[in-house]
Amino acid sequence: MDQRAILDHQFVVAAYFITWVIQLGYVAFLGLKWRAQKRNAIRSGRAAR
Amino acid sequence: MKKMAIGLYAAITVALMVWGYYQAIYVAPDEQTMHEAQRIFYYHVPSAMVAFLFFAVSLLGSIGFLSFRRSRPGWAQASDAWALAGAEVGVVFCTVVLITGPLWGRRAWGIWWTWDARLTTTLVLWLIYVSYLLLRRFAAGPQVQTLAAVLGIFGALDVPIVYMSNRWWRTQHPSPVFGGDSDSGIKDPTMLHAFGWNVLAWLAWGVLILALRYHVERESQKNLDREAMEALGERSTA
Repeated sequence: MDQRAILDHQFVVAAYFITWVIQLGYVAFLGLKWRAQKRNAIRSGRAAR
Repeated sequence: MKKMAIGLYAAITVALMVWGYYQAIYVAPDEQTMHEAQRIFYYHVPSAMVAFLFFAVSLLGSIGFLSFRRSRPGWAQASDAWALAGAEVGVVFCTVVLITGPLWGRRAWGIWWTWDARLTTTLVLWLIYVSYLLLRRFAAGPQVQTLAAVLGIFGALDVPIVYMSNRWWRTQHPSPVFGGDSDSGIKDPTMLHAFGWNVLAWLAWGVLILALRYHVERESQKNLDREAMEALGERSTA
C-alpha cells in the first residue's frame, strides 16, 4: 500500500467512526433524558398522592 | 404488541446499517479519481438527505403549532414536539455532514474547508437550527414555542437554497448526485446500490431516533402540565 492509499483508508475510518460516535452519543443522551423524564413523572405522581 | 413492533423495527434498522456498511466498504468499487476516500460519500450524502427531511418535519411541526395554538392546544403541543424533534435530530445529521464533508475534502481537494456556496449555506443552516435549539433550551416565558416556531419556519427556507446552491452557482463541491446534468451522478450500478442501501439504512435509523426524541418531548410536556396543575392545586388550597 502506498502512502496515499493508507491516508485515504485512515480518513474513511475516521469519517465512519466519528459518524457513529455522534449518532450513538446522541442516542445515549436521549436515553438519559428519557430516564430523567420517567423519574420526574414518578416523583410528581407521588407528590400528587 | 407495540413493544414488539418497535423491537422488530429496531432489529431491521440494525440489519440495514450492517448491510449498508458492508455494501459501502466491501462491495462498492473504488472510484477512479478519489479512490478509497470516496467511500465517505456513502455516509455523507445520506446524512444530508435525512437532515433535509427532518428539517422539513420541523417546518411542518412549526406550521402546525402556529396553526393550532389557539384552536386545538393538544394538537399544537404534539406539533411543537415534532418541530423540536425534527430540528434536533436534523442538527445531529447535519453535524455528521459538516464533519465527514471536510474529511473527504481534505483528501480530494487538499483543504479542509472552502467558503463556496454549498458549504457556506450548509453551515448557515446548521447555525440557524443550533440557535433554534439554544432558544428552546435557555429562553423562558409563554412565547418561547411561538418564537421557536417562527425561527423554525425561517430556518427551513435555507434548505432549498442549500439544495440548489451547486446548481445555481459555480461551486467547488461536486455536482448533484440526482437532478444534475448528464455528466453528474453515480454511473456505476454497484455504487448506486451501495448508495441506495445506505440511504435506506440512515433513513430507518433517523426515523427511529426521531420517534424516540418525539416520545421524550411528549413525556416532558406531560410532566410540565402535571407540575403546573399541582402548583395550581397548591395555590387554590392555600
